[in-house]
Amino acid sequence: MSPNSNSGGLTLNGLERQVVSRMKSGSNRYFVVVLIFGLLMLAGSIAGLMATVGGHHVYYNVNRELAWGVLISTYVYFVVTSTGLCLVSSIGHIFGVESFMPLAKRAVFLAIVTLCAGFFVICAEIKVPIRMMLYNIISPNLTSNIWWMGTLYGVALAVMILEFIFLYTNKVKLAVICGFTAAVGEIAANSNLAGVFGLLNGRDFWHGAFLPIFFIGSAVMTGAAALIFFHVLAYRVNHEIMDDPMLRAMQGCRKVAILGICIVSFFTIWRMVSLVAGEPSGAYLGAMAMIKGSYAFSFWVFEIGFALVLPLILYIRSQGTNLRMMLVASTLMIIGLFFMRYNMVIVGQAIPVYYSLGVNGSKELIKYFPSYLEILVTLGGFGLTGFLFLLGEKVFGGHKMDAHH
Amino acid sequence: MKKSASICIGILFVSFLSLAGLALGEDHGGDIHYSAPVVGVLFSHAVHVDENGFDCESCHDGLFEYEALAAQNQPDFNMKSLYEGKYCGACHDGDTAFASDTRCTLCHEGVKGYNRALGITTADATHHE
Amino acid sequence: MKKQLLDLDKSHNEGVENISAEERRNFLKMGLTLTGVFASGTLFSLVGSAQKVFASDAAFVEKYPYKPHYSMMVHVDRCIDCERCKKACAMTNDVPDYGFRTNILEREVPNAIGVKTEFIPVLCNHCNLSQCTRVCPTKATYKNPSNGIVMMDTTKCIGCLSCQMACPYNARYFHEEKMAVDKCSFCWESRLSKGEKLTACAEACPAGARIFGDLSNPKDQVYKKVHQIEKTVWVLRPEAGTKPNVFYTRG
Repeated sequence: MSPNSNSGGLTLNGLERQVVSRMKSGSNRYFVVVLIFGLLMLAGSIAGLMATVGGHHVYYNVNRELAWGVLISTYVYFVVTSTGLCLVSSIGHIFGVESFMPLAKRAVFLAIVTLCAGFFVICAEIKVPIRMMLYNIISPNLTSNIWWMGTLYGVALAVMILEFIFLYTNKVKLAVICGFTAAVGEIAANSNLAGVFGLLNGRDFWHGAFLPIFFIGSAVMTGAAALIFFHVLAYRVNHEIMDDPMLRAMQGCRKVAILGICIVSFFTIWRMVSLVAGEPSGAYLGAMAMIKGSYAFSFWVFEIGFALVLPLILYIRSQGTNLRMMLVASTLMIIGLFFMRYNMVIVGQAIPVYYSLGVNGSKELIKYFPSYLEILVTLGGFGLTGFLFLLGEKVFGGHKMDAHH
Repeated sequence: MKKSASICIGILFVSFLSLAGLALGEDHGGDIHYSAPVVGVLFSHAVHVDENGFDCESCHDGLFEYEALAAQNQPDFNMKSLYEGKYCGACHDGDTAFASDTRCTLCHEGVKGYNRALGITTADATHHE
Repeated sequence: MKKQLLDLDKSHNEGVENISAEERRNFLKMGLTLTGVFASGTLFSLVGSAQKVFASDAAFVEKYPYKPHYSMMVHVDRCIDCERCKKACAMTNDVPDYGFRTNILEREVPNAIGVKTEFIPVLCNHCNLSQCTRVCPTKATYKNPSNGIVMMDTTKCIGCLSCQMACPYNARYFHEEKMAVDKCSFCWESRLSKGEKLTACAEACPAGARIFGDLSNPKDQVYKKVHQIEKTVWVLRPEAGTKPNVFYTRG
């Protein structure tokens, strides 16, 4: 499907003809869905702009004590997905596992898209984004996990775009180098993202060396599920049947997803047990809220049910051949993971910092629920993901890997 | 007819007043919340009259006016005066009752206690469960 | 390695057992580089806070060479929640009514014998090992190297609010008009740099609950109170490990 396969060389006309014909091949339903995602993206952008100009204290429900709301948890969700996509697909073209190789192009594309969605959401969360562009570069603080995370994700984005170009222009060796660099950058950035939360001594619920390890484990789980989800959907969008190499890739992803679920389940169980058994001040309050308090529904139904237990059962039962069951499992996981990030970010802050002093106003969890604009920006992030994914399917002709790759 | 009517009204009026008095709780001044020179000092008639059995003249015979909060209009209503034996310091000298420079928050309910007592809510309270 | 174009159709998998020792070593080195890079960010973040840390709480004060080393001693039993300190602070430092630089916490113990309520003034502790300065991505907040005050450079603040997350003491809030995070600065710009000796809150307190002083001067009140062992002196949330410069005592 490379541009120079039709005519003798690479011509702009030839390229344009090909892209236009692909775009025209979309059904009406396809264009409606693309339009919906585009509108969501637009709504999210307007909401974010309104809030940045008008003031977060007016339009968002975050406050002094609970300063990071659904926008931060959505950002975490998208960038961890990006890391997962990058990691799982690197099993193919970096570590050389044959069965994962057909995933390369779409995985890199999606890693770029989800990273962009993350940046989209975070722009509406940072209160003064203009200063960030300038001072992150001229006044960096090397002890800051946030600085490392932002810088490394930015570098990873640039490198992945290069990798994508190299993959499409068949410069395999350069693509592998870029892929390796991007994978390293993504892992480092993800660890620092976890470090933003895990290195804070003042927040009992988050503090601990386990958090970076947990993030990488859940990134792997997320990436595998996202790969299955997007690939099965992509083949439906393009009205194609998966060929054998792609089916083997799906089976490989399924195994990685099962492994990831097992690791994350192990972490989650032991974490909850340690918080309840030792009753560490503050963190215990958060744990009980998740087990039988105000976050219990979100925890048991979404984080445990949707993200861990149900997908595990469905993946195992699908035996790697029932694509529909694997799609359902992946969809459940993608929904559940959103709430997993939300629970982590919100409950960690809902515990008042002065809880251990026993003073008035610090004895119970701080309440939070996203405002309309926050929800709109979150939906905008999903809109961007869907919009770019669907467009990418047509423009890049199904991200097919060449026969001899 | 008019005489009995006015007697009826008179009885009703007196009953109403006594009921009001009963509703106020007891025959003393209730809780007094001072807001000057600092906000939030509580004087509880219930503690002094009901629990400790003081009668009105114990304090309202030169130490304090019957009129509530009259003392805070005086320029010398401060802790120094208390240490010299004026106002509360007449008893709260360490012998009759605890000294005025101890157990501060028994009387000093602060801005928070004052707002709670008077039902004032502040806008900047964070939402808690 | 000789560069040549790979013809992937004609190449075949030689098998893992046929890889030379040199190729294995190179692969391992690559793996170590990978580990090093992704750990480096986290390590750098820790290195900043791994200053010379001393175990003894009494000794650490002497190890930080600030002159003057501003700090505050709070007498918890003297605070009566008149909140004159809050008003003075707001007036002196342009604090909006939706925020506060200093606060009074109320602890009620209904079953206590004697006094049942305690008021605890809290403010920025200007920690020696401050978490806020460690996490700020643009160095918008930093510890002044000469007097130990944790300061804000409002031009660089991007409003990420990491410092609010990192602070164990709820000392920070976002100032909408300045478009930057704001917090207690021990009245540096408004008073100390202009020759005043006390912060606005310390001066306004009618009960002597806030004693502002200098830990580098052995004749200072706060120095003397911190360096004795008869009366208990504590800091809030010592488990957060930030080595605060605001101390609490009774009596």
